Amino acid sequence: MNVFFALATGLMFAIGVFQLLRRDMIKAAMGFYILFTAINLFFFAVGAFNGQVSAYAGNLSEGTPSDPVVQALILTAIVISFGSYAILLGLIATSARRYKTADLDTLDQLKG
Amino acid sequence: MVRPFAFWQLLLHAAPTDKQRVMHLKLVSSTTTTPETGTHVAKLPFAWIVSLLTALVFIYLLSSLPTVTEVGALQVSLPWVPALGLSLSLYVDGLALMFALIVVGVGAVVALYAGYYFDNSRELNCFYGQLFAFMASMLALVVAGNVFTLFIAWELTSVISFLLISFHGDHSEAARTGALRALIITAGGGLALLVGLSLMSAAAGTTEISQILSGAALQDHPWYTAFTVLVFVGCFSKSAQFPLHFWLPGAMSAPTPASAYLHSATMVKAGIYLLLRLSPALSGTPLWENGLMLVGLATLLIGAALALRQYDLKGALAYSTVSQLGVLVALIGLPHGEGLEAALIGILAHSLYKATLFLTAGAVDHAVGTRDLRKLGGLALALPGWAVIAALAGLSMAGIPPLLGFVAKEVLLESLLETPLALIVVVASAALTVTMALIFVWDVFLGPPRAEHHVHEPAWGLLVGPSVLAGGALIAGLGLDWLINPLISPALEHEAHLALWHGLNPPFLLSLTAIAIGVGVFALRHRWRAWSLPLPNAVSAYNAVVGSVEKVGDLVLRTQHGKLRHYLFVILAAVTLLQLSAGFSHVTGIEFQWDGELDLLRGLLLILALGTMIGSIFLKRHMMAALVLGVAGYSVGGLFLLEPAPDVALVQFMVETLGTVLIIIMLSKISAPQREAAMNDLWKQSRFTLYRDIALSAMVGVGVALFAVAAINNRAIAHTIATWHLENAVPLLGFSDVVGAIVTDFRGMDTIIEITVFSVAALGVLTLLAKPSPGGVIPKRISIPRPSPRLKVFQLGAAPDEPVDVQHAQETEGEELSFESHFSTPLTRTIAQLVLPFALIVALSQLFYGGEAPGDGFTAGVISGLGVTLWYVVFGYRESQRRLGWLKPRYLIGAGLILVIVNAASPMLSGLAFAAHVNFDQIHLPADLHLSTTFLYETGIFLTVLGCTSTVMEAITYPKEIEPL
Repeated sequence: MNVFFALATGLMFAIGVFQLLRRDMIKAAMGFYILFTAINLFFFAVGAFNGQVSAYAGNLSEGTPSDPVVQALILTAIVISFGSYAILLGLIATSARRYKTADLDTLDQLKG
Repeated sequence: MVRPFAFWQLLLHAAPTDKQRVMHLKLVSSTTTTPETGTHVAKLPFAWIVSLLTALVFIYLLSSLPTVTEVGALQVSLPWVPALGLSLSLYVDGLALMFALIVVGVGAVVALYAGYYFDNSRELNCFYGQLFAFMASMLALVVAGNVFTLFIAWELTSVISFLLISFHGDHSEAARTGALRALIITAGGGLALLVGLSLMSAAAGTTEISQILSGAALQDHPWYTAFTVLVFVGCFSKSAQFPLHFWLPGAMSAPTPASAYLHSATMVKAGIYLLLRLSPALSGTPLWENGLMLVGLATLLIGAALALRQYDLKGALAYSTVSQLGVLVALIGLPHGEGLEAALIGILAHSLYKATLFLTAGAVDHAVGTRDLRKLGGLALALPGWAVIAALAGLSMAGIPPLLGFVAKEVLLESLLETPLALIVVVASAALTVTMALIFVWDVFLGPPRAEHHVHEPAWGLLVGPSVLAGGALIAGLGLDWLINPLISPALEHEAHLALWHGLNPPFLLSLTAIAIGVGVFALRHRWRAWSLPLPNAVSAYNAVVGSVEKVGDLVLRTQHGKLRHYLFVILAAVTLLQLSAGFSHVTGIEFQWDGELDLLRGLLLILALGTMIGSIFLKRHMMAALVLGVAGYSVGGLFLLEPAPDVALVQFMVETLGTVLIIIMLSKISAPQREAAMNDLWKQSRFTLYRDIALSAMVGVGVALFAVAAINNRAIAHTIATWHLENAVPLLGFSDVVGAIVTDFRGMDTIIEITVFSVAALGVLTLLAKPSPGGVIPKRISIPRPSPRLKVFQLGAAPDEPVDVQHAQETEGEELSFESHFSTPLTRTIAQLVLPFALIVALSQLFYGGEAPGDGFTAGVISGLGVTLWYVVFGYRESQRRLGWLKPRYLIGAGLILVIVNAASPMLSGLAFAAHVNFDQIHLPADLHLSTTFLYETGIFLTVLGCTSTVMEAITYPKEIEPL
């Protein structure tokens, strides 16, 4: 794959980390989600071939297939990232309900 | 409840029948009463079965005694982590077998006793779990053939002992401190042991115990002192030797069956076992002999003295155990292995009588409600059976013929005849032991009865186990020739000649002296109990160490201010700095090529994805930001589609939809004022922290971009495994969809783990948001118990069809059902009802034809999950729960996981590898269908993913009021 995807991955990481550092819990969760997407895009970018046809055995004679290994990795990663996202949002909803705030800076009990 | 027509009812929009409604209400009401108190009737057969099964293991082990006697040692070895010299090897010689018999035999007795001891079936189940986990670890410890497997089992016993001591830790401070102290001492000693064993293995050149024992002598090795001392520390901490003995009395907070088992018969003998095990390789030096003798004698004297000063029955027994362990250590230290015979018989005798006494103490506690010696007395008439057993065990402890304890004491005194100092100490402690036995038997069962307590007769079943042990001590004493000698001889590796009567020899006279002194001390007990002795104790040293650790911890905590995102900043900054300091420069051979090409469509999608992500930073409304991120996800999906990667694109589109629905529903669960407040303050931070965050993000971004470019430019494309997968999908699996082949077969093990993780995540969300009760039952709480004029309270007794005022519900913070009112129109309801069956049909087709076309178990699960999601969005929680009752998400998760694992394991039955591919070609199916293990695998994935998605949706739409802070 080409270098643009790599640069886009870097940019997505920057956006994701910046969002992660916001006061608003929901924005932070969105930052997490952006990071998930960025990682998937990275895996996609390091695929071995510049695919012309999809990775089906019947297509192999027609051109370079796309890399099936990274696809399999991404496929399961997408489902897992959904699970993690659900957990994260569940935690946020629970803590917002418990501490009556969605602002991370007003939550300062995690200390000795 | 099987409801075959539920699917059609759903299509026909049928209301549930009255019967179902009643069932529903019954379910609701049954969860409100917690089944807390179990009866004895229900669990007793279970206790007997468990105990008899353990007894069968005992018999099996016993049946291998002749073989062990003949061969010397049974050995099995399986490589585990060969690179680390770690192997799963067993080494069962006479010594290991003797200990294994004690572990399993006393275990069977304790298991039966526990069945009658616990009133509460939940406690009993919990106890059984820990008891058998302990039994397994302890067995592994004694039969381990590799020093590291031995160490792992060793630490496991410490951990389970911690759990058992803190069994009642939720309401007992003493149990918590006792458990922690025991863990710190025994596990800390374990660390010393680990270092010692590692050094010893390095010195011996092998980690196998059999080779260490048969190899070259270690006594002359330069590291000998170091590793022997470290092994000593480990053994002394575990076997409660002075000055580390103080954890054992603190461990008496454990339930009495655990004290009897772990803290008298088995775990505390692990140190003794290891010393015995290693004595052929390490003994014969002044360090070994003097060290063990000194520590053992000190322990035995201090333990005996402390035992007499205890008023708690269990505490007294604990200190007397300390004293006995001291005797055993001193015996192992005798030169030329002269004390080994006495040590082995002592271990047997002690296990039999001390476990009996502990179990008796438990029964007395049960019957009278106290273990305080000052409040006990004259219980022989009320508890005659227990009096007899206690008397037998007490006689054995005091060393009165014909019990096993007598033989043990005779052998002990005989082996010490050559060392006068030790002999004096041992005779003194034997006298104190006699006193202890008298206190236990006389003061509890005889003596003046105390009227202040009501005696509650313990269940007869409690008596069975201890009678076996006490009877064992008697029979063993009488049947030395046919019972004890054959058992001890293989452990000693020479013939043992124990006899009950050796004539009027010096040991017997010494024994008589000890008994006389002991009786005398007992008679004067009211005088010396008032004395205060300045006995050395290491508790204060322990407290000082633990206290100073806590002080240092407090200092570290000062650096924390509680602002989460600043912690996050520090973590990310540290990672970035590490990366910077490592740099890319020292990595040679990495190319950075900055050329690339991008067609218009891909470029647009990429810009769209990035632009929407940047937009999500600045958008002022969460809903907009969520939708915009959905667009970003779809753009990435489009990129996948253009690759072309149809399978991935399909999943990406589906999951993106789910994710967007998820966050929108979640937004409704966080109250709008709170979200607005957070949003308004979003940019309220000092200019410095803003620039700081931007700088960090930029650094991370640049680092990742460099890494990604390097990764792309330097992939070893010529050696990619992708080619292999492309070539072998059809020949090996008959799959033309290579991605599907990788997910379901080539990397099938990964997939099993991934769906397990996904299941855990889904259940986690459910636990967070739907808050199941501790018993695992999810209470169907659908009411807000506060009186609210604007909200109709939905009560348990009301019919489930009664409408909740959802329009107003959105204004109260708990009942977050606002999205229902917007989406629930006749049109959307019809669509939702139609979509689910179609989604299921699509899912089935993907399952059946997953090998040839895009889609597999994951996509099938996600697609049908989307259908369920639509239901929850349109109909809301209650109606979906009621009308999708046939869909049981947790059952689906369980069924899917079981199917996947059973399917992966079943080829092993016919000698194939785990998760091997089997094609059932002999079964002919219409319409080009192929049945294979892969198909079952996909079905399992489908069920799990569907179950997980439904669980998540059920959890996030679950209505709930705000918990009080």
